[in-house]
Amino acid sequence: MIELHRVCKVYGVGPVRVPALSDISFRINKGEFTVLTGPSGSGKTTLLRLLYRADVPSEGEVEVLGQRVPKLRRSAVAALRRSIGIVFQDAKLLPDRTVFENIAFVLRVLGTPRREITQRAFEALRAVGLSSRAQAYPSQLSQGEAQRAALARAIVRQPPLLLADEPTGNLDEGMAAELIEVIRDIWAGGTTVLLATHQARLALQLKRRLLVMEDGRLLKDQG
Amino acid sequence: MLLFLLGEAFRDLRRAGRVAASAVVLITLSLTAVGGFWVLSSNLGRAVAEWRDRVRMIVYLKGEPAPAEAQALVDRARELPGVASARYISKTEALATLKSTLGKDAAVADQLPSNPLPASLEVTPSATGATPEGARALVTSLATLPEAEEVAGGMDWVQRLTQWQQLLATIGLGVGAVLGVAAVLTVTTSTTLVLHARRNETEIMRLVGAPELVIRLPLFLQGMLQGLLGALVAIGALTAGYVFFAPRVEPLVTLTLGLPKLTFLKPLALATLVAAGTLLGGCGGLLARGRRDP
Repeated sequence: MIELHRVCKVYGVGPVRVPALSDISFRINKGEFTVLTGPSGSGKTTLLRLLYRADVPSEGEVEVLGQRVPKLRRSAVAALRRSIGIVFQDAKLLPDRTVFENIAFVLRVLGTPRREITQRAFEALRAVGLSSRAQAYPSQLSQGEAQRAALARAIVRQPPLLLADEPTGNLDEGMAAELIEVIRDIWAGGTTVLLATHQARLALQLKRRLLVMEDGRLLKDQG
Repeated sequence: MLLFLLGEAFRDLRRAGRVAASAVVLITLSLTAVGGFWVLSSNLGRAVAEWRDRVRMIVYLKGEPAPAEAQALVDRARELPGVASARYISKTEALATLKSTLGKDAAVADQLPSNPLPASLEVTPSATGATPEGARALVTSLATLPEAEEVAGGMDWVQRLTQWQQLLATIGLGVGAVLGVAAVLTVTTSTTLVLHARRNETEIMRLVGAPELVIRLPLFLQGMLQGLLGALVAIGALTAGYVFFAPRVEPLVTLTLGLPKLTFLKPLALATLVAAGTLLGGCGGLLARGRRDP
């Protein structure tokens, strides 16, 4: 499902070279729930960005869903992203659209037939427990609800892979636990999940495979 | 899908607000300028065409030929390139024409000791002979007739009118082009603002793998909508201008150019203006650039 082989990423600012990832290799199989953890600035976000081709590695191979990501053409990148659900620390909801419209927006831009949109959007909302808030605007949601709406948007196309980058970063413990439960349910439905978090306690509580990063290096791969 | 994209385009147009409005105004101005000069130029063109049909050249003869010689001269003139027809006018006929022109003062001509008017040939040029170049060639070949004393008439003023028409068309296109470029740049600016305003939508669209066409099409469509709106307003302004000014300037036009009525742009010309406006707006929408992934 995901395979990285000796991946390095160096950011250049003028003559200064800043290594963000050094010699990262691992493999995630279909159906796994993997937690990527490490302190802020350890390279988790950079690593995730390589997976959905928001960035390209300086060296090494990145393979996602059987495709060598760095070499993909623009149209193939779009096709790859259609198979990946992505959630960020910031929910990135469109403020002038309701929760339902935010989710329907994704289906509409991908050309989903109109009659399917309502049904699929409500299925996704039900999966994250947010059906009753479908007509609310993002400004009317709590942070936990906003993250669940973002999660609904990520899974509405039923992608085989879910990437979650610090989805609980802005949430209190109770809301974070609720969100993690929803992600567990999604994983239980057959979706491969890669969740990045700097919250070590949360990572340990999940009791799943753990990839520990520090200073751009993969320190541990356990579980 | 198209309805959704159109909806997004309208949403973008509302977001662009005043900048979109100024783009529409600039497109309106540029197309009104082009359309206004087009109306003037096409009417001048009609006048030129009408006057070309009425052009005659007069070949004044050295003496008065005998009837048989006159007929032979007419035949020779008809064979010259650029001649549609030729007619012999005797001294007597020329005097009779003068008298009829003088009307009640015709008696003045009777007091002349002898008929001073020369015999002549009235030559009507063909279509090729009525062009500025054809007319020059025809005057030269008529002057080479041995019987010819002088060749009068020609296309000089028709040519001047043609030059005016070309000048008007060039000015119209020039002004329209300058304003058109300004309009494209304004649409580009408004679309860039839209891109900034809809960066969240664009980011989400890219993240979920929307095709580039779906991302860019609303921008193109909102540019086209600005252009279409500008073109429609321009046509409205041109129509209002025509309705207001035409009855007022028609007497002057009839007197100077001989046109009974000023005509407005034909449906094809109006369609061209609408298409040009829509295209201008669309170009502006396409030129706008947002941030892209590596």
